[in-house]
Formats: sequence, C-alpha cells, structure tokens
Amino acid sequence: NEKNLIHRDGLETVKPNLQHDFKKVHCNPEVFRCTLNAMPQTSSLLNKARLPLGILIHPFKDLSQLPVIQSSVIVRCRSCRTYINPYVHFVDSRRWKCNLCYRVNDLPEEFSFDPVTKTYGDPQRRPEIRSATIEFIAPSEYMLRPPQPAVYLYLLDVSFNAISTGYLNLFCQTLLDELDKIPGDSRTQIGFLCYDRSLYFFNLSEGLSQPQMLIVPDLDDVFLPLPDELLVNLHESKELISDLLNNLPSLFEGNMETGSALGAALQAAYKLMHPTGGRITVMQTVLPTVGQGALQLRESSSQTSAKNIPHLGPATDFYKKLALDCSAQQIAVDLFMLNGQYADIASLSCISKYSAGCIYYYPSFHTIKNIPVTEKYEADLRRYLTRKIGFESVMRIRCTRGLSIHTFHGNFFVRSTDLLSLPNINPDAGFGMQMSIEDTLAEASTVCFQAALLYTSSKGERRIRVHTLCLPVTNHISEVYSSADQQAIISLLAKMAVDRSLTSSMGDARDALMNAAIDCIGSYSTQLNSSQKMGAVVLPHSLRIVPLFILGLLKSTGFKGNTNTKTDDRVFALQQFKVLPISYLLQSIYPSLYPVHNITEQSEVVKSGTSVRMPPLIQLSSANIDRHGVYVMDTGESVYMIVGGSVSDTFCQNVLDKPNFMSIPDTMSDLPEMENPLSIDLRNFINYLLDCRPNGSTFLVMRDDSKARHLFYQHMVEDRTESSMSYYEFLQYLQQQIK
Amino acid sequence: MTTYQEFIQQNEDRDGVRFSWNVWPSSRLEATRMVVPLGCLYTPLKDRADLPPIQYDPILCTRPTCRAILNPYCQIDYRAKMWACNFCYQRNPFPPQYSAISEQCQPAEIIPQFSTLEYTITRASCSPPIFLIVLDTCMEEEDLQALKESLQMSLSLLPPNALIGLITYGKMVQVHELGSEGVSKSYVFRGTKDLNAKQIQDMLGIGRGAAQPQQNRGGPQNPQSQQLPSNRFLQPVHKCDMSLTDLLGELQRDPWPVSQGKRPLRSTGVALSIAVGLLECTFPNTGARIMLFAGGSCTQGPGMVVGDELKHPIRSHHDIEKDNCKYMKKAMKHYEALSNRAANNGHVIDIYSCALDQTGLHEMKFCPKYTGGHLVMGDSFNTSLFKQTFQRVFSKDSKGEFKMAFGATVEVKCSREVKVSGAMGPLVSLGVKGPAVSDTEIGLGGTCQWKLCGLYPNTSLGLFFEVVNQHNAPIPQGGRGYVQFITQYQHSSGQRRVRVTTIARNWADASTSLQHIAAGFDQEAAAVLMSRLAVYRAETDDGPDVLRWLDRMLIRLCQKFGDYNKDDPNSFRFSENFSLYPQFMFHLRRSQFLQVFNNSPDETSYYRHMLNTEDLTQSLIMIQPILYAYSFHGPPEPVLLDSSSITADRILLMDTFFQIVIYHGETIHEWRKQGYHDLPEYENFKQLLQAPVDDAQEILQTRFPMPRYIVTEWDGSQARFLLSKVNPSQTHNNMYGFGQIVTSSEDSGAPVLTDDVSLQVFMDHLKKLAASSSS
Ligand SMILES: [Zn+2]
Ligand SMILES: [Zn+2]
Repeated sequence: NEKNLIHRDGLETVKPNLQHDFKKVHCNPEVFRCTLNAMPQTSSLLNKARLPLGILIHPFKDLSQLPVIQSSVIVRCRSCRTYINPYVHFVDSRRWKCNLCYRVNDLPEEFSFDPVTKTYGDPQRRPEIRSATIEFIAPSEYMLRPPQPAVYLYLLDVSFNAISTGYLNLFCQTLLDELDKIPGDSRTQIGFLCYDRSLYFFNLSEGLSQPQMLIVPDLDDVFLPLPDELLVNLHESKELISDLLNNLPSLFEGNMETGSALGAALQAAYKLMHPTGGRITVMQTVLPTVGQGALQLRESSSQTSAKNIPHLGPATDFYKKLALDCSAQQIAVDLFMLNGQYADIASLSCISKYSAGCIYYYPSFHTIKNIPVTEKYEADLRRYLTRKIGFESVMRIRCTRGLSIHTFHGNFFVRSTDLLSLPNINPDAGFGMQMSIEDTLAEASTVCFQAALLYTSSKGERRIRVHTLCLPVTNHISEVYSSADQQAIISLLAKMAVDRSLTSSMGDARDALMNAAIDCIGSYSTQLNSSQKMGAVVLPHSLRIVPLFILGLLKSTGFKGNTNTKTDDRVFALQQFKVLPISYLLQSIYPSLYPVHNITEQSEVVKSGTSVRMPPLIQLSSANIDRHGVYVMDTGESVYMIVGGSVSDTFCQNVLDKPNFMSIPDTMSDLPEMENPLSIDLRNFINYLLDCRPNGSTFLVMRDDSKARHLFYQHMVEDRTESSMSYYEFLQYLQQQIK
Repeated sequence: MTTYQEFIQQNEDRDGVRFSWNVWPSSRLEATRMVVPLGCLYTPLKDRADLPPIQYDPILCTRPTCRAILNPYCQIDYRAKMWACNFCYQRNPFPPQYSAISEQCQPAEIIPQFSTLEYTITRASCSPPIFLIVLDTCMEEEDLQALKESLQMSLSLLPPNALIGLITYGKMVQVHELGSEGVSKSYVFRGTKDLNAKQIQDMLGIGRGAAQPQQNRGGPQNPQSQQLPSNRFLQPVHKCDMSLTDLLGELQRDPWPVSQGKRPLRSTGVALSIAVGLLECTFPNTGARIMLFAGGSCTQGPGMVVGDELKHPIRSHHDIEKDNCKYMKKAMKHYEALSNRAANNGHVIDIYSCALDQTGLHEMKFCPKYTGGHLVMGDSFNTSLFKQTFQRVFSKDSKGEFKMAFGATVEVKCSREVKVSGAMGPLVSLGVKGPAVSDTEIGLGGTCQWKLCGLYPNTSLGLFFEVVNQHNAPIPQGGRGYVQFITQYQHSSGQRRVRVTTIARNWADASTSLQHIAAGFDQEAAAVLMSRLAVYRAETDDGPDVLRWLDRMLIRLCQKFGDYNKDDPNSFRFSENFSLYPQFMFHLRRSQFLQVFNNSPDETSYYRHMLNTEDLTQSLIMIQPILYAYSFHGPPEPVLLDSSSITADRILLMDTFFQIVIYHGETIHEWRKQGYHDLPEYENFKQLLQAPVDDAQEILQTRFPMPRYIVTEWDGSQARFLLSKVNPSQTHNNMYGFGQIVTSSEDSGAPVLTDDVSLQVFMDHLKKLAASSSS
C-alpha cells in the first residue's frame, strides 16, 4: 500500500471535527492549525500517543477575504484579554463566556447594534462571531506612540565581489521599477547605505542638485555623517532617489576593494533607523572581514563525521546582540545572501532571526553565469519590495486554561511567555509553537487558541489581526490518531529537529527524527492486536506519510548525513525549516513530481482563474521515471524539467525547438514559445506552477545525462543511494527498531 | 662720499638687507659690548623688477665646506680664468662656458651692481601650486554665504593649472572629491579622533601603493584618466572650477543641532590634521597652501581650545598667567606638531579667522609661524576687511605673477670672522651645521639653513651674527666681512629659482675707532631687531622681565654711545643716528606687543606674528605708528605721535599698520555735523575732509592684511584707538608720572619704568640712569 501514499491530486488537509454550531466556522488551516485535531484530555493520553503537540501559524498570510472592522469598541475578555470570537458561549443576549478562561463578561450594547440597519439584534450576526480570522482597525489606546511611517533602508554590498556578481545593477533597476509600488503613504522614508571596507552614505534631501555620497572610511567607532538627511521622504526626494539608483552601479564600477564591513554597516543602519524603526534590507555577497562583526572562514574541506557537522551555530553573538537592539527599536533586518563562497550564514542569519527579519539565499549568484538564480532573485526582489508589510508588530498567542506554550519556532524575539516581538511582519513568515497539557481538560469539550497580531500598516494604521482555532477534546486514543494532522506533525518535527541540531548535534537531530517515526509506528501498533499488525509497518491513514517525509527530511540539504554539503547551504535549509509555512515546507522536503510528456492527454482544470491541464502527482522514486518521458519537479524554490534520454524527436521539436535529444543543450533556463498544443499546455502548466507561489523560483530544463542532473535526482527521496536508505529499507529499519 | 643714510637706503633697495651695524667691530669682545647685537633684517624676495633674467645655474666655490656662490666681491683672474672665493680664498676655475670672460665682458654675477641676483633653474620640473581650502561650516548664514562667494571669486584668480581641494568641517570633517559626476562625493571623518598620515592615506585610498579604483575596468582607457589617485581630491582649477563653484554654492551650514547654551562642535584640529596628512602623502615637498577659514574656536577633539559650554569662556591672558587653561597646552602641542609636519613637507598653513570671540589663534599660531602662512583676523567674513584681504592674497606683481612663493630654503654663508647665531621669522630650522654656525643661539640657531614654506615680497627674516675674530688677531688692512644669503624657492610660476645676495661691510677696531662703528648704526634696523628679540622673549618670559631687559639694554646703549658728563643727565646727547632709538623703545614697551592685558591672547598672537614677518618699514609703523595732520594751515604733514598733536582744528590720520584711524578734531567735527562740506562755498572744507580719506585709501589698497578702517571724532568712542597710541604728554599722567618712576631695588636692581609715562618723563629718567655713575 506504500505505492500510493500520495493521491494524484495531492495530500488531503484534515480539519478539526467540531460539534454543532462551531462546525461551520473553521480557521483556514493554511493560517492556523494544530498537529492534533482532537486534543487529548490529559497529558498521559498525549504521552501514550507519542505524537508531538503544537500549533503552526502563518499569521500575516495574504488572504483573499479578510473581514476588517473599524469599531470604537473591541470586545475582549476582561480577565484574559481574549478577543471575542466564534467559539465563545453567549450566556444570554447580554453576556458571553470566555472560551479561554471561562469568565463571564458583559456584552457592550454597541456590540449587538447593527450600524447598517440601526437596530439591536443577535450578537451572532457580528463578523467577530462569524469569522475565525478578523482584523480590527485599532483605536488610539492600542498605540504607545503615533504609528510609525514606513521606513526602508537598503544596505548594499559594493565590494569587489559584489560588483562582479552584477547584482547591483539588477537591484537598482528592479527597485526603480517598483518604486511607486513600495507599500507606504505620504510619510514613507527611504535611505541607502553602501559598504565595502568603508561605509557610503547618501544625502538625498530635497533641494540638492544631485545626490551626495558621504564616505566614512574609519569604522573603529561607527558614526553617522549627518544628523538626519540620510533617510528621506520617498515622494519629496523621488528625483534624487532615481538619480542615485541610476548612478549607483557606475559609482562603484571597477571597485577593487575586497573587504566587507557588514557589521559596521549594520551598526550605522541601526543608528539611522533608531528613532523611527522600520525595515533594513541587506544585500551581502561575501564573508564580512572588516571591523566589528568580522568573521573567520570556518568551513574547511576536511571530512568530519556526519554525526557531528560543525559550524551550524553562530561564531559570534555580535549579530544576535545587534538584532536584539534593533528589535527593541522596532527595526527588522532582512538578509539577501548572494554569496558564491562561504559567507557564514550561521552567524549572519542571527541579525534577521532575532529581529523578525527574513533571509533569502542565492548561492552562486551571478547575473551572467547563473541566469536561473538571477531570475529567481529578481522575482523574489519584486515580490519582496511590494508585498504587504506590517511595522512595530507584536503577536500574542493565548490558549485555553490547561494548555501551555513552551517553545517557539520562527524569526522573532520572545518578549514574554506568550508575546513575540515582530518589528516587521511579512506575509511569507510562518511560526510554530510547541505545547504541553498542564492540567486535565476533562471539563472542557473544546480547546481554543487565539493569535492576535498587532501591527502598523504601511499606511500608518494600527491594526489587530486575530485568528482563533477551536479543537474538540477527546479521551480516546483512537480519535487522537485518526485526527492527527500529519503535515503539521512533520512541520513541527522539522522545526524541533533544527533546534536539536543546534543545541546538541546533527547526529542527535537525525536520531530524533528517526525516533519520532519509530514512536509514531510503535505506539500505534501497541494499540492494535497482533492480527492487525500482520508483521508489517502499520500506520493509521492519518499518519501514513510520516515515515516517508521523515526520510525526506533526513535526505534534505538541512539534515543529510554526508559532509560535502556546503555549510551555508545546510544552514540556510535548516533556517528555512523554522520559518516556512506548512505547504512550502512540505514541498521542500518532498517536492511534487509530474510526468509531462503526455500532458495534452490530461483533463483541464481551472486553477486560480486559468484553465490548466494538470498532470498527476507521482512519487519521488526513480522507478517512476521512464527514459521516454519528461518530468517536471517542483521543490518550491526550483522547478526542474528533466528530459529522458529516449524522448521522442517530436517532443524535442515541439517543445524545445530541437530536432532530437542529442541537440538539446545540457541545460536551458527557458522554454521556447512554440505554437503547438504540447508546448502551449506545458508552458501553461509551468507558468501555473511558478505563479501560484508568492516568491520566485529558478527554472531549469536539463537532459537526463546533464551535469546538473543531481539537482533533480537528489530529491528522489524513495531511492537508495550510496549513503542513504531507500524508502523500503527505511521502513524495514523502523520495523526492526520497534521490536 | 654718500652719507650712511644713503648707503643704508641703497643697500636696502638693492639687497633687501638692513644691518643694525654697518661697520663691524673687529673683535669678539668688542662686538659683545655693542649692546644691540649685530644682525640684519633680510627680505629675500624683495620686489626687484630690474633683476636680469639668469637662466643658468650659479657657479659654486669648489671647496666642499664652502660652496659659496660667485659674486661681485670675488677676485677675478681674467687671464687664468680663475676666481678667488671671498669667503674661503679658494681659487676656482671658471667653467668652460665662461671662456670668453674678460674685463670688458663680465657675466652679471661679478658686476658690482648685481650683489643680488636671481637664477632660474631651468632643469628643475615646474609644478603648479596647490591650494587646499579648509572651511568651517559652523557659522552664521551670512558669514558662510559671504565666505562662499569669496572662495568662488578666488577660483577665477588662480592659475588654471593650480590644483585645488576642499575640506569642510563642523562636528565632522569632510574631504570632498572634486570632479565626480552625477553624485557628489566626500569622505567623512569624526572630529574627535586624530589620524596619522598613514591612516589618512589608507582611508582616502591615496598615496603610494594604494589601490587605484578607477583602473582596469569600465570605460575607454585614455591616458588622462590614469591620474594619480590623489587627484580625486586635488584637481586642476580649469577642470573643476564649475563643479567646485556648484559644490560651494550647495554647501550648507553644519547640520548638527546646537543646543541652548552651547557652542557648535567644531573640529578645527582634526580638519587641519587631515589637510596636513592629505598633502603630506600626496605632494610632499611641493608648493602647497592649506587655507583654513575658521569662524570660531575648536570645541572638540585634538586641538580643542574651549569646551562647548558657553558658560565657560575661552582663556584670557589672566588665565594664562594663572596657568588656568584646561586645553591650551594640549592644543598647542597638537598645532605645533601639525605645523612641524607641514613645514617638513614644504606646505603652508594660512589661517583666516573671522569671529567676534577668539578662535584659538594663540594655540594655532605655530601654523603661520612655522610655515610662513598668512594670519588674518577679523570680526566676520562678511566684511570688506576679510573680502579685500583675501582677494589680495591672489594679487599679482607687475609681471603678472603671484606675489607668493613656496618651499624656500635660506642659507647663510659668512666670512670666517663671523658666524650666524640664529634667525627669527616665519620659518623653521633645517638643522644644518656648518663652519658658519655660531655656538651662541639667538632665535632659531644651531643651523645655517632655514626653511620658509611660504614667502612674499615683504617677508623678512631677522638674522643675528656673532663676530668670532679674537682681539689679538687683527684683520688685514682693507679686509671686509662678507655674508651671502642663498634663497632657493619655488616661484609662483612653478619654476625653481635661486636668489643670491652677497654683502660686504668694513671692519673697525672698537677700542680705537668706536665713532666709526657708531656712525654705521642703523637705528631703525636696530629697533626692529630688538622688537623681534623682545617679542621672542615675551613668548616664554614674563612681561615685566622683558620690559626690564629692554630698559637695561637701552640704558646700556645710551651709556655706551651717548655723550654726557657723569651724573649730569642734562648733559646727555645722542648723535643723530641714535636719536630716534629711545623713542622707538618707548613706543615698543607700551605697544600691544608687550602690553598684553588689554588684548586677547589671540590678538597678541596675531600682532606678534605680523611683527615677526613684515619688512622694516611696516614693522616700524607697528612699533611707532605714523600720524599725519590735515588742516587749513598748510599742506598735510607728519606730526609727532603725541597728544599735543591732537587739536580741534585738525584732522589726523594715524596708521598703526593694523588700524587706519581718521580723527576729526572738535571744530572739524562740529563743522562736519553742521554739513558745511555740502555747501558750495565751503568746497575747501570738503577737500580737507576728503584728503585723509584719499590717503587712507592708498594705504588700504596696498596693505596686507587689510587694516581695520576707523573714522572717528574728538569725543567718539573709537577715539581710544588714537589716544592709546599717542605719547601722553598732556595728560594727567604727567602729574603723578614722576612719582611712578621707580628704580626697582628689590629685584636685581634693574630699572623699571611704569607703562603710562610720557615720552618726556621716560627720556628724562633714561638720561638720569644713563649718566648715573652707579648703574
Ligand atoms: Zn478570558
Ligand atoms: Zn669658498
């Protein structure tokens, strides 16, 4: 039965099975979900099930429908400050009982007043009660200070290496293109700071005839060269900003300086942003080697044991400390790594991790030598520049009495037990929280979680987005198993394993992942009688993919056992596990694979408004790859198309505009636009794949015998390799461990 | 036979040299008894439009220890084509190109009228002058605006090939890159941290071995773009005048906020240090001037002279006297070290200081003093005093050449009976020992060569000599003493030039013919030399000590050269060429050079610097101002600098060098108030009013720095400028003046005269002391 673990249309998403009225209001599982859709009544029951308990949240996800309320009164529990939500109980028409702390609260009169009909009526018709996700425009008491303007500062590496990659021109042109679409209002501010061994500030104040570059070569004790002209109003100084972006690449053309003073640049950026808060965007192409925060080349080619992979953690606390300073001043730092050589992402990423920034990584970036990565960078950057953004944000997670949250995953600073500081919040950031059951939940039939994200919109509005999740409580282990959310479980396990790799070792993290699979199978089988076991690995339907995805994790760049993985690649992959929302995370562990050679035979389906011929999903096993076929693999980050050695000349001609397999280049970064059904359907499909994610992807066509084929085959999770088990072997191994 | 008066004048006109003694005592012992030391005031670049252009190298004496230059005092053997050195008697052959030499065909250097001659060294490379502007931006808007305009104007006055650079400072120091297109660039440094030349070089990416960023890549490779990297900061005027004009135009006041009760943070010390460092590593030993424009005092970092709290005022003379200056010594050390570095590299530092309060010239005085820079002091950059002074920096001579020269070394050679004791002026010692160097030091001694990084037609050195000939070694009949001055410098055209002046003076035996020596006394030169000596002492010694020393010297001179009967003051007589000397001393001892407490330390430094730099005529005006009277009683005439000259029906014009004062007597003032000069029938009164104004204009147009111009009247508050200078012959001081004259017995019996006595009282007392047999 392991042949068809994954349905041709993908995995189903389980939802909590709630009773009566609550049933109709579900929180979007893409936004908020729990590893268990039925909460065990006691911690002993949870222990028995041996499944991880936690919630996963994607709080600022772009939503097509979001009820927004501007109301003078925001109804909250007077005791625990929970926002009124669909899962509260109305004692009568004037009172409601909090579903987290059970306090009975009065309902303000206005709450049941309908401003449209100007009548008092049933509180149930309020949007707060009808939607599990809702956004309030906050009144002034939610503000400690006037909402900050959108402030953006760009830190640009202009060292010799940076200039050689050609990124600067692409960056400047892309920003110029998108300048009018940057989220903000009339107060939006922008600034630029370039650096190599020196810092280059820019005075762009209105009224100057041309931009002024201020070079600070002495970085012993970083200072700002001007008091306040270095961040300027985007609208007032637009002309100078455009001038600068047009001139910037030529200003640094031929720069021979190889040193990089990123640490000093960040310190200066902090000083610049300190009074307002905002977003710092860093483009870094090399290991910082100068001044504060300078790093050593730690990666060495010498082989160490796979158990103990070194340098996964930071070499210095400089970046973490600075990130915490930034966080305190509502500054987030986003990092774009464009390095070809080791740049110690493990250390640098701390600047984003603790300031709630995000991290992008473009290994071997080069605008001429690496077009697929360049295209991904450009697409990512466009999305990045224009996507929604929230400033000076905090997120509080509340849960029903009896439960407690103990470990957070993602990029943030934990300000108090249930409060995360998020100087910026972006629509692509995901978070995870581990939980424990502290008290019996026997008296409750449901438990609830509420995440409230307070932020300042780019238009200067203070807003609160509230997500509430409600789950039934059970005292039956079978129900715990049957309602388990395997996708959420794998996501949470991945995050937990990342922590393990940092606090203990890679070997321990890998063992922990295997043990999780063993626990899953082992504890379930103890629940079964021997006739049900039949000597094979038995798993409930709801957990059937867990071993496969754990194997995927063990073979992933982040957790793989071999030591010739570049440290930066690995560290970045681990970091991604911490922050990716579920669907992207799962796709990176176990990419989607589609046979496309017969795409014209597939039926058309309408996906997001366009009709596409969808090929079926097939599992990641070389056994599924036919030499005559052509396959598309989507890892989330990349889309690969591999062309089999015995592919038909017709396909070559119609799709690739080449007479036969032999004339196809080793790799291609684009498909020619051919006017025939096969080409049109295939391009439609690939465009659909690329369009349905917010970020950019690399796209690469390769021959089955290409030098780059490992990019594709490394994801064939179910295959056996020299150093790793096949899926079948893995299952057998697990089985042995259970005895 | 000409008079000594004429002889002195001729010598000055021809050689730019004025000796205190024009007949030299032939023995060491006698020379020390002359009281006023043997010395001269030497003006190396004295304007000599009549000098023949000599386009070859001078001929040197072949004796390695001598190397004197062929001059009119050398004996020429025309037949043998040999010349005998008048300093060491070495016989030297003429080089082959002199083979045509004969009594009828003499090269210029041996013609007697060319005791001063200038050679142009054609094989030396020409380098254009360099101007590095160091601009304070912590000043009032109008001041900055005016200064920016002056600087923009100056661009048109500079030679097109001159290199120019710009450093601005306030809380930060900015080194501006010139000629960058699209985006203006500057390097910014913290104003609190000093950087050495190596650090500056690294940080600016300049100098030897620095990476040259604009090479190898991008754009067509034309040879002109392969410039020295330093050219990013120092660009030829013709290439960057437009962009620099724009840059200056866009320059804003220092943007850092200054809170109530504070001074702006001003980083003069670091700005200057960076300027010195920048030139040091890019153009060592090339003519360059750093022009510092300071609108206030340095308030932070190395070189700070006052804190930023307004409640703590800048140091006064009283604070200095009480050793109560928190920052002074450290600041002086900073500026002195910078000045030495600049001087070592041949770079000039000018200070243009315009502010109502002091800016720290006292601490910064080393800059002009060691490098021959200009020192200009004013109240505001938005005054004609500054604007015209600054314009005059770029004035040209009759040949259309700048009146400024760079990187000079002055070498002194002496005949064996004399040695050089030292020099005073805007210079540093080059520490070159040699046979002509005396063991006795006066001023900067122990060397026979000095460096003057910046010099002008007026620049004058005080040089002091020692006669070393022993009494028992008589000088042969007709023997003369010789001194040769060899000044090598970079002319404003960039040419390397050598000016050679050789002078000869007769010897006399003081024990037998003192009258000959006395007859050769140049009281003006002596007064100026003594003034420089006194000021030199005053820089280190207490004021009263200096006055005591001056008095002692004066009394001794009177005793030595006056005619009198012992203990009969009334019999005292001085010959004519000594007669003005006591008067000079009288005015000197009550001048701002020695009486400092009415002035700020900055003013004192400024006044003393000018006295130490200017030529004899100007120095004398400083010591004893000139007073002219205008009246209906006759043509304008010079009158005594005496209160008796102030009358109601006169207009007085006083020139103190630093100030030009026009003073209307009471009656004149009344008439003027009533507007008589506007009436056609009183045209002559209008002319009378106009005459001193015209004369003042004449002075104002040539004087550098521009003097302060004051028009006042008998009861005007500004009249104090006049009243403080005139001899108080008719004031109440006379009444108790006598009582104030004390012969101090407590300290070493030296006579002390009080400051505010009249000249008459002073003279009377002087005669008494001179004639007294007990002193
Ligand atoms: Zn509550
Ligand atoms: Zn000789």
